[in-house]
Amino acid sequence: MLHIKNLEATIDKKHILKGLNLSIKPGEVHAIMGPNGSGKSTLANVLSGKTGYETKGQIQYNGESLNDLSTEERAQKGIFLAFQYPLEIPGVNTNIFLRTSLNSVLKAKGEKELDTLTFLKLIKEKAAELGIDEKFLSRQLNVGFSGGEKKKNEILQMKLLQPKLSILDETDSGLDIDALRIVADGVNSYKNTENAFLIITHYQRLLDYIKPDYVHVLSNGKIVKTGSADLGMQLEKTGYKNLI
Amino acid sequence: MKQFYDFKIEKIKNLSSKDKNLRKKNLEVFNKNGFPNKKDEDWKFTDLNKILSQNFKNIVNKDFSLKNKKLELIKEFEHNYISLLNGKLISSNFSYEEKNKISLENYNYNNKIIFDKKNSLNFLNDALATGGFSLEISKNYKLNKPLVIYNHFSNSLKETIVNYKNLIILNENSKLNLINYVNESIQENFMVNTIENIKIKKNSSLSNIFINNSKCNGYFYKYIQSNLEKNSNFENYLFSSGLKFNKIDIVVNFNEEHSKSSIFSALNLNNNEHQEIKTRINHNSPHCQSFQKIKDVLSDESKGVYQGKIFVKNNAQKTDAYQLSRALILDGNAEFDAKPELEIYADDVKCSHGSTSGSIDLNSIHYLKTRGIPEKEAYKMLINGFLIETLEKLAEGKLKNFLIKKLERQINGY
Repeated sequence: MLHIKNLEATIDKKHILKGLNLSIKPGEVHAIMGPNGSGKSTLANVLSGKTGYETKGQIQYNGESLNDLSTEERAQKGIFLAFQYPLEIPGVNTNIFLRTSLNSVLKAKGEKELDTLTFLKLIKEKAAELGIDEKFLSRQLNVGFSGGEKKKNEILQMKLLQPKLSILDETDSGLDIDALRIVADGVNSYKNTENAFLIITHYQRLLDYIKPDYVHVLSNGKIVKTGSADLGMQLEKTGYKNLI
Repeated sequence: MKQFYDFKIEKIKNLSSKDKNLRKKNLEVFNKNGFPNKKDEDWKFTDLNKILSQNFKNIVNKDFSLKNKKLELIKEFEHNYISLLNGKLISSNFSYEEKNKISLENYNYNNKIIFDKKNSLNFLNDALATGGFSLEISKNYKLNKPLVIYNHFSNSLKETIVNYKNLIILNENSKLNLINYVNESIQENFMVNTIENIKIKKNSSLSNIFINNSKCNGYFYKYIQSNLEKNSNFENYLFSSGLKFNKIDIVVNFNEEHSKSSIFSALNLNNNEHQEIKTRINHNSPHCQSFQKIKDVLSDESKGVYQGKIFVKNNAQKTDAYQLSRALILDGNAEFDAKPELEIYADDVKCSHGSTSGSIDLNSIHYLKTRGIPEKEAYKMLINGFLIETLEKLAEGKLKNFLIKKLERQINGY
């Protein structure tokens, strides 16, 4: 599904990713762990198509080069990024945002867009699954939401858009244990043989709830070690220092 | 500079010789000063004289004959209406109201209008004005439905100035929602210069909304002088995008205690459109509240100006005054100028002001794009969100939905 070859990324003259390689197949869950400043969020940003980065190397997604695709086209083709810090957007109603988003994706796929009523029924169901109070949906997008509420809103968007590749950037940060469980349940219930996950995290904690097939250690812009779920647990005990 | 206007009192029919002389004197004052330029503190950021001289060859006044105009009524909400053609009253309908509670007449030019004796456009109006209306709401009468003023202009207005006066009186304990609506797409250049006096008596409430539904090449100036009695309320919503040039100049006088006034504005300007809001809030009495929130989105070579002054007299204790202006500047050639001013002579007051301008937040755009929303749409969502916030305090209902739709239309383009 995703093949990254020799990916380099530079921003503001800082060389951050220095030749990263990674392959993800449908149905797999990959975790990327690494210390602060190793390039984890840069990887997420570059995959999402954020501007401002100078990149080299190849990113193939379902046989297509990502370099040629805009952020919205990537999203429409099934790449989803759950943000570490979801943005607060004043004046934009959450429901209207969610409907515009879903309909943009449906339209790009050539599918029928949802009318208001059908959409509201759908979003009500999805919100209930995540224990999100309906009232949130009529509020301004993420404005005044707690950290946990913002993260749940990200997972809600993921479940709504049904992406093929979901990138979760530090989704566990700022979550209490209950919110963490809800987020993890959300991911686990969406997981199937067709879609894949790339979970970027600093701690093992989230991986107790979402079991990865592979754990990669990112350090200084490169993947320095790859292993099974056990690697995460080992890191939790020994820290990154012994590995890098 | 070449003379680009030629105004004649003789063109106005049926004037008494006394009236003619008064008007001539006013025109002399105007001719001496001309159209305002940047030397005038009230026009600090705008040389109107220059703008007009570049866009007009020879502006004249005319005596307009009354014609009927086929009305295209707003269908979204039930309303009463007044229809003006080139400032003249041509029809009205108050079918939702008790007839004897509302008086509507042509403006009576024997009445003295209050205006600013340093304002040359006001003098020009006082010299040339012919149309306009007087509207009076009876004591204890609250209108059941809003009142829409349809402002029509004829196609024959090329290089012409329209001047008129309005008087609006809300007697004690009355209520009126007024919507000033322009739906014209005239390509020719014309000018409209209005003076409006508003009296809001004890316990009364007026909401004054400006909304446009199209783009036209009109150059508008409106001077509003309002006087508020005890416990009254005056709300203004200025959504006048679409005009080539517009300046709304509002004076609010809190003459008695416990009154409130608010001014909300949301403008989305592009090309070389120019809009100004000038306010002067005179807190002449204690325990009054004033609130102003001005928001501009500026593209291309458009220009937005906000000059807001809060004056607090020494006896106006417990004044609560707030003003904020915010601009989103989308292009390097667009400009926003703000001049907030506080002049306070009382010691127990709460006054605050702020002004910011900046570009759109690209991280927010990125966030929306990662959700599959195309870039253009993402910009529109953010602009809409930025502007729509000014409607927050308006009661939910058909009128609010109508305004939201019109704002969206202004943002999406016509």
